Amino acid sequence: MNNSVLIIGGGIAGIQAAIDSANMGFQVCLVEKSPSIGGRMAQLDKTFPTNDCAMCILAPKMIEAGQHANIKLLTYSEVLSVEGEVGKFKAKIKKKARSVDEEKCTGCGICIEKCPWKADSEFDAGMGKRKAIYVPFPQAIPNVPVIDREHCAYFLKGKCRACERFCEAGAINYDQEDEIIEVEAKAIILATGFDLYDPTPLREYGYGRIQNVITAMEYERLSSASGPTAGELKRPSDGKIVSDIAFIQCVGSRDVRSNRYCSSVCCMYGTKEAILAYEHRPGTKSTIFYIDLRAVGKRFQEYIQRAEDEYNITYIRGRPGNIELNRRNQNPTIWYEDTTTGETKSLEVELAILCQALIPPRDIQKTASILSIELDEYGFVKTPDGLSHPVDTTRAGILACGCVHSPKDIPDSVVQASAAAARAAEILSGGT
Amino acid sequence: MAEVRIGVYVCHCGTNIAGTVDVEEVARYAKQLPSVVIARDYMFMCSDPGQALIKSDIKEFSLNRVVVASCSPRMHEPTFQRACQDAGLNPYLYEQANIREQCSWVHEGDEATQKAKALVEAAIRRVSHHEPLEIKEIPVNPNTLIIGGGIAGIQAALDIADSEHRVYLVEREPSIGGHMSQFDKTFPTLDCAACILTPKMTAVGQHPYIDLFTYSEVEEVSGYIGDFKVKIRKKARYVDEERCTGCGVCQEKCPWKTDSEFDIGLGKRKAIYFPFPQAVPMVPVIDREHCAYFLKGTCRACERFCEAKAINFEQTDQILELEVGAIIVATGYDLMDPTPITQYGYGRFDNVITSLQFERVVDCVGPTGGKILLKDGTQPKSIAIIHCVGSRDQNYHTYCSRVCCEYALKFSHLIKEEIPDADVYQMYIDMRCFGKGYEEFYDRLSHEGVNFIRGKVAKVTDEAVTDEERGRLVVIVEDTLLPGVIRVPVDMVILCAAIEPRSDAEEVAKLLKINRSIEGFFMERHPKLEPVSTPTEGIFIVGCCQGPKDIPDSVAQALGGASKVLSLISRGKVSLLAATAKVDEMRCHGCGRCEEICEFHAPKVINKNGVMVSEINEALCQGCGLCAVTCPAEAISIRHFTQEEIKSMVDVLTES
Repeated sequence: MNNSVLIIGGGIAGIQAAIDSANMGFQVCLVEKSPSIGGRMAQLDKTFPTNDCAMCILAPKMIEAGQHANIKLLTYSEVLSVEGEVGKFKAKIKKKARSVDEEKCTGCGICIEKCPWKADSEFDAGMGKRKAIYVPFPQAIPNVPVIDREHCAYFLKGKCRACERFCEAGAINYDQEDEIIEVEAKAIILATGFDLYDPTPLREYGYGRIQNVITAMEYERLSSASGPTAGELKRPSDGKIVSDIAFIQCVGSRDVRSNRYCSSVCCMYGTKEAILAYEHRPGTKSTIFYIDLRAVGKRFQEYIQRAEDEYNITYIRGRPGNIELNRRNQNPTIWYEDTTTGETKSLEVELAILCQALIPPRDIQKTASILSIELDEYGFVKTPDGLSHPVDTTRAGILACGCVHSPKDIPDSVVQASAAAARAAEILSGGT
Repeated sequence: MAEVRIGVYVCHCGTNIAGTVDVEEVARYAKQLPSVVIARDYMFMCSDPGQALIKSDIKEFSLNRVVVASCSPRMHEPTFQRACQDAGLNPYLYEQANIREQCSWVHEGDEATQKAKALVEAAIRRVSHHEPLEIKEIPVNPNTLIIGGGIAGIQAALDIADSEHRVYLVEREPSIGGHMSQFDKTFPTLDCAACILTPKMTAVGQHPYIDLFTYSEVEEVSGYIGDFKVKIRKKARYVDEERCTGCGVCQEKCPWKTDSEFDIGLGKRKAIYFPFPQAVPMVPVIDREHCAYFLKGTCRACERFCEAKAINFEQTDQILELEVGAIIVATGYDLMDPTPITQYGYGRFDNVITSLQFERVVDCVGPTGGKILLKDGTQPKSIAIIHCVGSRDQNYHTYCSRVCCEYALKFSHLIKEEIPDADVYQMYIDMRCFGKGYEEFYDRLSHEGVNFIRGKVAKVTDEAVTDEERGRLVVIVEDTLLPGVIRVPVDMVILCAAIEPRSDAEEVAKLLKINRSIEGFFMERHPKLEPVSTPTEGIFIVGCCQGPKDIPDSVAQALGGASKVLSLISRGKVSLLAATAKVDEMRCHGCGRCEEICEFHAPKVINKNGVMVSEINEALCQGCGLCAVTCPAEAISIRHFTQEEIKSMVDVLTES
């Protein structure tokens, strides 16, 4: 392909960079590891500070990327190697076998309906189930299911084939194999986003041990109308609908034991999640434990103000030291120091939500070695000249945007994505 | 006219709509209405299978009209119009009923379902009147106007110009550089600001694709995306730019001085001056307000010494007319003047200064040569840095200025570097270190012996109550972590004043027909997904004019703005609105009221075969409808919004 950009990662940053590059007239190859583009934003219920429904504003962009004449979408695919240099990169991409023929599939969904095998849904952060043949979420692009060979009875035991039997289009193909596709690109944009810190090692918070201590992403799925509880805030232990909850900030962030950096978005998403709890059930009481309230974006401070004034949300400055289980009612009890009074206190709530850190994608080391780029001490992409060239990596022709660069919110990711597209355009038009 | 065959699609939107509205009932109701051939309900109409349903139905049932009842048309109208187009239907034969924002989200129970039915029926009636409209395209002028020559404007200009497209960069001040040129170091890397900025400024000055207009202002903007017409006032410098060699002898010989704007009153400049040594262009300006020749008619020292004969006291303002396809607004911010916050004593105490003044103090080319000195020339032994001055304050600005925590940390480092035994106090509400490397910078500074006091400062006073306080400034603050009110005696106080919208932001907004948000910054089209676009097509906002932000974020926005402009240029053409005004010439009296009322200058009364009638320039018409309601003869109507269409909807909605 001539004049082409390879974009790795199909979350909001990758999608925006793809649309911008494509609109500038360049050929774009957008590679996404999971079966659909959409990324983390697709998992979110609402977004701060406007409380826009995340999917409502994301879906039009996904559709635009999916239908753009200049964008070639490779989902369920991974970059294996990159050779060459700026202006003439050659990438090998593995397009994993979906076991479904994309040309034939009509996306009718009958295979999913008929499949008798279930597994934990990655999209629902393990809070719900999906089938062994599945699309991750209803608005998936492309709308072509994938057979998860780890959970499909046919692949495990050699029988079932229910999907094949019901598929009128004859699209099921158990013999499909991984394909290796070679792509040429003049510039590469890395936008593989972030993973979430698993708070299990912070034993004092009891995650994994106390059922009603959950992570913020799990909460997003509980709160989402299309999530496993259809938007009811039912707590895990007994399905009780909660009305007294607490959020703990900086779980795995600003902590010498895990990650020293600030995850940038937790103060705001914690506040949003507390507001949503109130909107789900007016009167709900939320307490947010924080170190510093970092409401730095446009209209963020006002959002915090509204949270306090209108949504029964209390902010307490203090990092909780321990969460105990009240065995009688399964409530978590949070022990903390209120640093404004110096007192040590406890608070019993029905559900405690850990605002977990944003960490580099778990496979970032592999990605970095494939691309020959350097990472910072945490594993985010190193930007040698953050001031003048905020989206440049240590290697010419390879740009990074969104959370793989450092934790950031959606507007900043979108801006960086457009910036990366502009830098790619400079490279493609022969500049440096 | 062929038989009208309508397909109606009611979206569940997960539970967004279906949770409140009985969508199946709405579809059933629609099905039995006249001309409706098929009516369905579906989980997510915007999903691929949802769109496929529309496309296949258009073919299977020979539909010639489509109604989707879902979210606001602002969200998905383009999606469904495209689906219709893909199936061979003119996109203007589509109609969307908003049963989410205007129904399910604001009503409950049976009421919601009843209203949804009414909205859907109204849409069905209206769509029957729709006519296919032709979508015309016009070419895009590949030149771009950028307003503001700070770091954001500079970056955007370079990026577009590097792609070999013409940029007109307009800057109000005599030099580009903006606020960044006033900074000494930048956080969190402590890079020298000028070292990063000046190469970019030079690149702008020399770029073959950039036409630089400094000391100039945009006076008038007309037209629309792809074809804006702009008038620029190039103010008289009284120095001939062609002849001036930038030698600086005029500045040296000028005997008249005034406060330097660049040094924010801490230093002096001449009446003929370059704002700072690295100015681009390197051409001085005569400040008429302080030049003896302009004030009293004598002096002319500059003229006498200028070997290049560049001084021209007769120079007048010039008006330039430019044509561009897109405009990037990068007008930056003002630093709040803290004088009204009287309790902090700014303007009353010599050694209470603003953060920007401190930047000049520590700058090695600043008024003190980079030495941190008090007004009396002595070195301070203790300095208080007060955060959130005018920010996060109900009396001034409720918003956070986003950059103060970081630059305050930078200040304490610079102070410690020069005066290692100085006591430095940070008085803050929250330490907001959110960006890449910021938390680490905070961590580093907390190990450099800086005192952090969490509390909003109540007062700065010179009333001493102890010997230690005598002759010094006393900062009274509640330490919320002790807690208790404490008095901190210091020699110097730095106020981290709020970042404000430019004082003329309102006029600029009017000039460009863009909006401002409640705090006065320019408003983006969508806070998350369209952060650099405005509701006015072809006009983009980048940097601090959109809201407070640091340099990396301003640069990223500038690049983002550039990418939008490059997309537009690459597309090469834009579609004109098809829903424009049309004139029924039989009814038109040629009275010209439409011509008077239209702010886009679209109607014009012409003589057509001896009859005076109004004619609409479709490229200019925005379909606002003002002419249609003004016309006394009801001769003007708006395509796609005809009287019949509106009336048919009103009839349904008032019946139900």
